[in-house]
Amino acid sequence: MTQPITQPMTTGQSAPVRTVGPDHVARRLPGPLTALRWEVRKLRAQYRARAVLLVAVLAPVAIVVVIHGQSRPPKDTLFGRFAIDNGFALSLLVLGFASQWVLPLLTAIVAGDVFASEDQHGTWKTVLTRSTSRSRLFWAKTITAGAFATLVLVLLAVSTIASSWMIVGHQPLIGLSGQTIPAGTALQLVAASWAMMLPPMLAFTCLAILLSVWSRNPAVGIAAPVVLAMVMQLVGALGGVEAIRPFLVTTSFEAWHGLLTEPRFSGPLIEGLLVSGGWCVASLATAFVLLRRRDITGG
Amino acid sequence: MNDILAVDAQGVTKTYGSLRAVDDISVRVAAGEVYGVLGPNGAGKTTFLRMLFGLIRPDAGTIRVFGKTWEDSGVRVLDGVAGFIESPRFYPYLTGRQNLEGLALLDGGTPTGLLEEVLDVVEMSERADQKVGGYSYGMRQRLGVAASLLREPRLLVLDEPANGLDPAGIRDMRALVKRLAGRGLTVLLSSHDMEEVEEICDNVTIMTRGTVAFHGTIAQLRTMAPDPGHVLATTDDVRALKLAENRFAITVARDPGAALIVTGPPTEVSSYVGSLVSADIGLLALTPTRTPLEALFFMLTDDPTHQSLDRPAQLQDTLR
Ligand SMILES: Nc1ncnc2c1ncn2[C@@H]1O[C@H](COP(=O)(O)OP(=O)(O)OP(=O)(O)O)[C@@H](O)[C@H]1O
Ligand SMILES: [Mg+2]
Repeated sequence: MTQPITQPMTTGQSAPVRTVGPDHVARRLPGPLTALRWEVRKLRAQYRARAVLLVAVLAPVAIVVVIHGQSRPPKDTLFGRFAIDNGFALSLLVLGFASQWVLPLLTAIVAGDVFASEDQHGTWKTVLTRSTSRSRLFWAKTITAGAFATLVLVLLAVSTIASSWMIVGHQPLIGLSGQTIPAGTALQLVAASWAMMLPPMLAFTCLAILLSVWSRNPAVGIAAPVVLAMVMQLVGALGGVEAIRPFLVTTSFEAWHGLLTEPRFSGPLIEGLLVSGGWCVASLATAFVLLRRRDITGG
Repeated sequence: MNDILAVDAQGVTKTYGSLRAVDDISVRVAAGEVYGVLGPNGAGKTTFLRMLFGLIRPDAGTIRVFGKTWEDSGVRVLDGVAGFIESPRFYPYLTGRQNLEGLALLDGGTPTGLLEEVLDVVEMSERADQKVGGYSYGMRQRLGVAASLLREPRLLVLDEPANGLDPAGIRDMRALVKRLAGRGLTVLLSSHDMEEVEEICDNVTIMTRGTVAFHGTIAQLRTMAPDPGHVLATTDDVRALKLAENRFAITVARDPGAALIVTGPPTEVSSYVGSLVSADIGLLALTPTRTPLEALFFMLTDDPTHQSLDRPAQLQDTLR
């Protein structure tokens, strides 16, 4: 069935290579997960992705150490007043800061690059002339970016909570309504607050994917979501925009406030889930259509 | 099954804005042949091959590959098809081997040992564990060939594979294509080099500005080729021109570069040169201009406004 087809390119010693005769028809088909495996493998080989993970682990520790060493607390930020000597408050202070632009940036570093880097390296034509369809590649890249965002958030949360617990302590937390929250409950609420960052973070992931597919430029894919996050925050802070405020992704970044009041309220959480979901679906649908339709002319 | 054409493109058109990059061309490649798409820069060769690979969508026309189309088979139309468009591209931060392993994943895997074998064929085994970012152009080209062979193709599509290679690289590439073809692989290759196509192809389509200027076998093309031309330098060009006046089988004209250009059947040219020597005119140089096929290629693909002047009438008839 297999036959030697040729020798090395230059004349000389022969090294038989198997190739098929003209009657060969059967072809292995890639499974649904092979494209995903390939994307993950590429990501792991990238210095940039590893650097983001490293930052997600180390930066919180550094921030916790620095703030803990301050003599005066950053009073005008949420939970700032207690941050110097309460580990839970410090975790929430870091959370509030991260949600401004750090989370959109960390996810965009991969999501904003995962499509556009194929343009940058001219490799669309390389991968699209194999046996994997554009849709499969699209989903493989999207899932990779989403999984990476989730991993970054988990690392960031665990590192922040663990380091503030160990360095600052785990005294009962004073909630937003002035109530005292016992340490056990506080830990759960802080962890839940971090988990509530996931939907808006994934929304920014999808936005970065869209911008990356549309611009075909990694720099735009990475920077634009961060700029968008800042603009949304600015718009959200303006007066007279009550009608659109709930539809901004950044509003969902504040949904955790409801967990730390007495009584708790979950309205913003559900709203946030819906809004983030909406942004995800709209961004991905547009990106999918753009990628399916586009002519691959570069490279 | 051998009746199925490897490539059957009908009336394929692609426009970019107002530019018709490929204008209603039809190409049929039978299984087992080596087919050349020849044309000058901008003729539309790459655009045509991109459509074949589904990288861009034709505005009109259909392309069947082994009987399948993109419309009915999706990416499965590429089963048994491999090759590259323009210069092959890889991930610079991965090694050559990692790149091939990844592409093999996208193919659904390869038989064990094949990866090493294709690396061997292109003589890249030793450099395979270095990052592609550090490869030279020729090495990337070789890796591109390896990546194509990894698919165990029935049809190999190569877009100007010798582009950018040094003379030894060009020789190796042509030898490889010939060997692959010798084993029954169908090869569709584009080129702007008549000599290359003449050397390795059975059939050829000559394209110019998106349209087909010639379709047929290399043998047919040879019969259409004009007489070979020679640059002639003598000690007395004026007398040499005069001596040519009553030789109707050849034409001698003054070149803008001040030398004489002699065209005509070889025996007539040689007899004319003999007469120069007998007439005591010193012969300084007699060198061939282009090969006849090259000359034909330029005639076929030159701008039509310049073409009518020097194109023989009978050739123009053949082209209709
Ligand atoms: N993406 C594009 N946008 C606009 N015009 C394009 C695009 N791609 C190709 N063209 C035009 O289409 C025509 C055909 O280009 P193509 O690359 O197919 O030529 P080619 O025969 O491969 O030339 P070469 O020998 O230089 O590779 C050219 O005039 C080119 O400028
Ligand atoms: Mg080209």
